[in-house]
Amino acid sequence: MDAVEKANEARQKNWIKDRKVGEGAYAVVYQGREATTGRKVAVKKIRVGQFKDGLDMSAIREVKYLRELKHQNVIELLDVFSSKTNLNLVLEFLDSDLEMIIKDRSLVFLPADIKSWMAMTFRGLEFCHRNWILHRDLKPNNLLIASDGQLKIADFGLARDFADPGYKMTCQVITRWYRPPELLYGGRYYGTAVDIWSVGCIFAELMLRIPYLPGESDMDQIKTIFRALGTPTEEDWPGHTKLPDYVPVGQFPRTPLRDLFTAASADTLNLLNKCLIYEPRKRISALDALHHPYFFALPYPTHPSKLPKCSTVLNRPLDEVDANVEMNATGPGVKATSKGLKRKLASPTELKARSIARRLDFSKAPPSSP
Amino acid sequence: MDSDSATPAETVRKEPLFEASTQFRNWRFSPEGLARIRERLNDVAVAAIRNTFEVDQPGSSSNVAFLDANEEVLLVKLYLTMISQLCAMFRFPEEVEATAVSYLKRFYLKNTVMDWHPKNVMLTALFLATKTTNNPISLEAYTSHIPKTASSDVLDLEFLVAQSLNFEFVVWHAHRALWGIWLDLQSLPDAPANLSPSIYDTALNHVRASRLTDAELIYSPSQIALAAFSMATPELALQWAQSKFSGNESNGLTLDTIFPVLELVKTMILRDGHAPKVDAVREVDRRLKLCKNPEKVAGSKAFVAKQVEEERKAEEKRNKKVSEAQKEQSDPFGETIQSTSLVDYGDDDD
Repeated sequence: MDAVEKANEARQKNWIKDRKVGEGAYAVVYQGREATTGRKVAVKKIRVGQFKDGLDMSAIREVKYLRELKHQNVIELLDVFSSKTNLNLVLEFLDSDLEMIIKDRSLVFLPADIKSWMAMTFRGLEFCHRNWILHRDLKPNNLLIASDGQLKIADFGLARDFADPGYKMTCQVITRWYRPPELLYGGRYYGTAVDIWSVGCIFAELMLRIPYLPGESDMDQIKTIFRALGTPTEEDWPGHTKLPDYVPVGQFPRTPLRDLFTAASADTLNLLNKCLIYEPRKRISALDALHHPYFFALPYPTHPSKLPKCSTVLNRPLDEVDANVEMNATGPGVKATSKGLKRKLASPTELKARSIARRLDFSKAPPSSP
Repeated sequence: MDSDSATPAETVRKEPLFEASTQFRNWRFSPEGLARIRERLNDVAVAAIRNTFEVDQPGSSSNVAFLDANEEVLLVKLYLTMISQLCAMFRFPEEVEATAVSYLKRFYLKNTVMDWHPKNVMLTALFLATKTTNNPISLEAYTSHIPKTASSDVLDLEFLVAQSLNFEFVVWHAHRALWGIWLDLQSLPDAPANLSPSIYDTALNHVRASRLTDAELIYSPSQIALAAFSMATPELALQWAQSKFSGNESNGLTLDTIFPVLELVKTMILRDGHAPKVDAVREVDRRLKLCKNPEKVAGSKAFVAKQVEEERKAEEKRNKKVSEAQKEQSDPFGETIQSTSLVDYGDDDD
């Protein structure tokens, strides 16, 4: 009896949790593997019992969208099962994320590397948008990197389908530094352009190696944006002064992107500029971005397998190492950051020869970030 | 082409979106396939419940009139109509209603009413649908408007419903497809000047009627929508279809292949698209009281026996975990102070 529960139990048995690699308020992330094949996976266990309204919206969104989306540049949801009062999402195992790579000072990015990450981001995003899904939380640590270098868009906890025109959506989405001005001004009717702004910020961050528009508060965020890109005029962005939370924050002149991104090619700046257009309807779409001359000009994008890889795991101070990890195991995981729940798993065995050489160099001082 | 290459535009292919959906892949059946699934479910359930009766008291199952598969479908259908009533009361958007209806139908392709009465499953399916369609309301607001319903009536079955749906929450709806046809029609070069909104309303009512049938488990939303539209206005439906399919035969779709399908959908809507007769359902429900699975009836002998067995297993697992933890403690490097925290019941779900 209860074939459904039996099926759930069978699924549960197929995924073995090996060790905890991250913990947040709502979820614990384990590294694990598939019992039958040994394939490495990440299991995100969401505690549901504590929610008075049952399955919570962010878990539902994540499952809902990832169940449908299958694309090389979107994280794959392999299975879902429940255990007692927990919901378990089995996700493909990913080594690191773009934030870790950006912050790893030992890595040098070539323009071709950045082009490759941008191409993969736009492909994944174009697929989401083609499926009428807004991500609404794009930022470097939601762009995960597989061991073969493929970039995967992850964390669909804030995603939603586009609403019909005239149907309100919340403006409380997207992490502040990556949030477009129309949301900061309280816009409740928006579309795919919100994700494109985020990608523009990530594009700039890949070149600068620090967040491009790091506002300290929502109000400061607007100012930060205008300081960088100039205060928009009515002509730049018709109607923006009528948005619900509009406040004038002063007049800032527009400084050419060229002044900050001194080494970037004209194509690069042209695409970046099109991602950061104030008027959302004029901002480039993911599909058009994929056809932008930037991607067809030299240098061509780096092959994903040849992209710079994160090596921070090798330099992690010992006190972060989980006491239960055997020294000859595949290596300790990186704890999720305070906001947590990223599947930041490290896998030194996957690293290429040059990294192994570095790993064996014991003379090197452990924490390398200056 | 090399799939690993990072050249951008090449993965932008034209695969029909619907064909990538879980609905297309996992929730479409032939009419015969549907009947087989329901009969098998019914057979297995009857055999198991008969067995439970016999264990309790030999010979007791011989005079029980179990439900057959058709009677189960009839009972579920009554609760499909109740979803509409609740949605009207809560003023939920059409998407919530249509999604809850799909959930309830899909649930009973994996479960039987003799185990889980549709009254409760319906409440859970609807509550889940409010969340999956991004129209959440608090559980308290939900239950306080439904007579004799506690929070636990809704939440206890949430995992079971989600599991039965295979955690596939997205449903493609015929009413959206109908809206698309309606918008398309207005932009045709030779669009009729006076498209009366009543045409759309009539077609929408046919789509709503289709929700009481198996149509969505057999046909695509666009097929149902075009059939409903064709019932409202055959001429305009043909005009729309011609605009879509002429000069576009490469995908194998032609008017000749589509119209016979539409006839099948129409027949089904006309035959099954109405609420069941209350008397007939009442009779089924009366018999269900006598043949439902005693393991699911709180307080019955079989229910208690199952609980005891589950508790024993849980106890066994806890003991195992404690002894393992103690083993670890004997490690010379182990911590002895935090002995209690070593046993983490919350994380135990193997």
